[in-house]
Amino acid sequence: MQSSAAAFAWEFGWPRRWIPVALGVYLVAHGLLKPLLLGSGATLDLGDGYIAFALVPFSFTFMYFIAVFSFGLNGDLAARQSIYPARLFTLPVSSAELAGWPMACGLAAMSMLWVIARIAALWPLRLDLPIVWPGVMMAVVLAWTQVFMWMPYGFRGLRVAVAVIVLITLDTLVILAINYKMSETALVAFLAPQLPVAYLCACLVVARARRGVVPDWNVFSRARVGEAAKPRSPFRSMAAAQVWFEWRRNGRSLPVMVALVLPFEVATLFITGFGSTAYVFKVLIAALLTPILMAGFTAATVSKANPFARDAYGVTPFTATKPITTVALIAAKLRMAMWSTLATWIVALALIAIGFSWSGADSVLSEWGQWFVTKVGMPRAIVAAAVTLGGLLLGTWMMLVQGLFVGLTGREWLIKTTGIAWLVIFMALGPILEAIWDSTAALRWLWNNWIFFPAILVVLKMTAAIVIAKRLSRSGVIGDGALAAGAASWAAIVFVLYGAFVWWADTPVLPRYLFLLIAILAVPLVRIAAAPLALNWNRHR
Amino acid sequence: MPKVPRHLRHPRHLRHLRHLRHLRHLRHLRHLRHYDSAVAEPVISIANLSRRFGEKIALNSVDLSMPRGGVYGLVGANGAGKTTLIKHILGLLQAESGSVRVFGLDPVAEPVAVLSRIGYLSEENDLPGWMRVDELIRYSRAFYKNWDDAYAEELRQSFALDPAAKIKTLSKGQKSRAGLLVALAYRPELLVLDEPSSGLDPIVRRDILGAVMRTIADEGRTVLFSSHLLDEVEQVADHVTMIRQGTIVMSAPLDDIKASHNGRTLDEIFVSLVGVTNT
Repeated sequence: MQSSAAAFAWEFGWPRRWIPVALGVYLVAHGLLKPLLLGSGATLDLGDGYIAFALVPFSFTFMYFIAVFSFGLNGDLAARQSIYPARLFTLPVSSAELAGWPMACGLAAMSMLWVIARIAALWPLRLDLPIVWPGVMMAVVLAWTQVFMWMPYGFRGLRVAVAVIVLITLDTLVILAINYKMSETALVAFLAPQLPVAYLCACLVVARARRGVVPDWNVFSRARVGEAAKPRSPFRSMAAAQVWFEWRRNGRSLPVMVALVLPFEVATLFITGFGSTAYVFKVLIAALLTPILMAGFTAATVSKANPFARDAYGVTPFTATKPITTVALIAAKLRMAMWSTLATWIVALALIAIGFSWSGADSVLSEWGQWFVTKVGMPRAIVAAAVTLGGLLLGTWMMLVQGLFVGLTGREWLIKTTGIAWLVIFMALGPILEAIWDSTAALRWLWNNWIFFPAILVVLKMTAAIVIAKRLSRSGVIGDGALAAGAASWAAIVFVLYGAFVWWADTPVLPRYLFLLIAILAVPLVRIAAAPLALNWNRHR
Repeated sequence: MPKVPRHLRHPRHLRHLRHLRHLRHLRHLRHLRHYDSAVAEPVISIANLSRRFGEKIALNSVDLSMPRGGVYGLVGANGAGKTTLIKHILGLLQAESGSVRVFGLDPVAEPVAVLSRIGYLSEENDLPGWMRVDELIRYSRAFYKNWDDAYAEELRQSFALDPAAKIKTLSKGQKSRAGLLVALAYRPELLVLDEPSSGLDPIVRRDILGAVMRTIADEGRTVLFSSHLLDEVEQVADHVTMIRQGTIVMSAPLDDIKASHNGRTLDEIFVSLVGVTNT
């Protein structure tokens, strides 16, 4: 390797050499679909689902490049210190080079991505996209992300907040410019000069980080330095200690994230007014779904066996050598997720209540509530509210823990394959649903046979549960008595839920066995039961 | 930290003391009865253990038996299989072929029973950075019934660890001391140290770690430590096991090794057996 530039290019490029190849293959395969399926002369109506299907890999690659070239994959984003890798500070190159080469490599990668995306837009999608400015926009977003990622901060967590605010501002300015139909030349003239400015800023922040500058603006933490730690009472059990460990590591992220995001959603009631009941309900539904969606993000760290170790997938020896059973380790994660869910919903409900109350939108909900009570009666209204709240809590909790059975295996190939499989499923979902929606025959067939879908899912779930129970029993991870008790508890919850459904909505239109199928599908079983097997496989490799 | 008198640092004194116990029935030497059962039940018993990582053979038909009591040094060049062997003993790796027994138990099938009697200092320095030292102690004590608060505090002061300091702010050596503290504070029957020298500074190694190991051994407990610093092994170990490319090339009491090699140093013996300079 002749130069530092080549070394940087190799470090970034060599492990990711498959990306342009994969995008190229995807593009060619995508282009061949049309003539193969519809004949060469046929035209294809490009619906939203189809476009989404085509563009998802490019969006993911863009986000991946942002993470890679800002070193965001390796650093602690919330830390006050720069996340620029300290190992590079000792290289015999200037700070300008340390800042410049990752920026140049990122610029090249983004250019490559935009060229491929532009080719995809021309063929096979036949979309009329602008030629230059989106590519420049991608480079500018990366450059500023690099600056804000590499900068040392005075407060923990400030990096994420600053980066989000600056990037949202940049996005908003560009959207406004598009809205006011600015020319491509004007947009490029607005964006391109930011690249050298970002480079100069990057040189400054890397130089500061290289000198070890880490400001501390937290007067409370400074006051605590030198202060003796207060003795605390011992944990009453190792299970309690492990729950504390999990809570400190993962439990607080979700309530904090929800507390940061929800006020902006509820604030839309003040900004735009709540002109209609429909608008109020849209905001309410969005607010109620926010904890579940946020849980999807935090689940990535909850299900990771070890977020801090060099081997990012295996269980750390610190945890693996504790004299505690694998089931107890899983139980601690489940309990932490439960406390995190409860804390999140206390925060969420409080913020929703305050927002709706201050904006006056609570009157709309109150009127609707009174109408609902007169329609179904007070007992049914209470049960409906309890089941809805229970469903939201369960949904949040499940979102946090449903990935444990994959993440805790510690097998990189399995985790990545599962991630890619889900991505493909989501990508395919758009075109499939669109095709079904457009086809009367498909809709008719679905209407006549829809009951088979929950039935098939129940068969799959119960088969998987039996297989996992056998393996748990054979491996000795859980005793047969505990397995039987778990199965009995699960069955009891299913029957209570089934009873509630039947009591609430007993109607000749819907068969009772449908309620049973829904109850079986609603109560988690397989993914939770598989988690101890996954961790055991990881802990004793 | 009380230092063990130099004249008591050799296993032959244990034999001597055992002899005295029979003669004088000294109550305070009752713990040395463990030494009698050493032959009957080894602390670690490994038979025909093999392990591959892809094409690489990490362990090749390893047989090893460690009686109770004493300090056992596991030496070998980098990548020789020391950590792989230790991970099998801890149950972190499952035997592909052969068997591993610790205290007569399978560490994979019965991890709680085995791990509750082992103290382990990892080479990886993997203590959670977000914990404070006092939180680490509070968390760790929940897992061990024999946790000795007074001893933990004594060790904390000996190691000069600030209880309010976060682990991530500690130096590499301080992190190793914190790891050693939580590995020692419950007086484990078996102490496993994976390359302790790589993290600890020379003063701690010479004055504290050596004394701690000798104290543990003199109490009838067992220490297994891996190292590539042969002079250090020579100073502390009673028994040395040399490993090369996953195969045990020698396992014998240090005195016997030296006697059979005309009093040469362990470093010279290692080079002659393993064929590489140990750095």
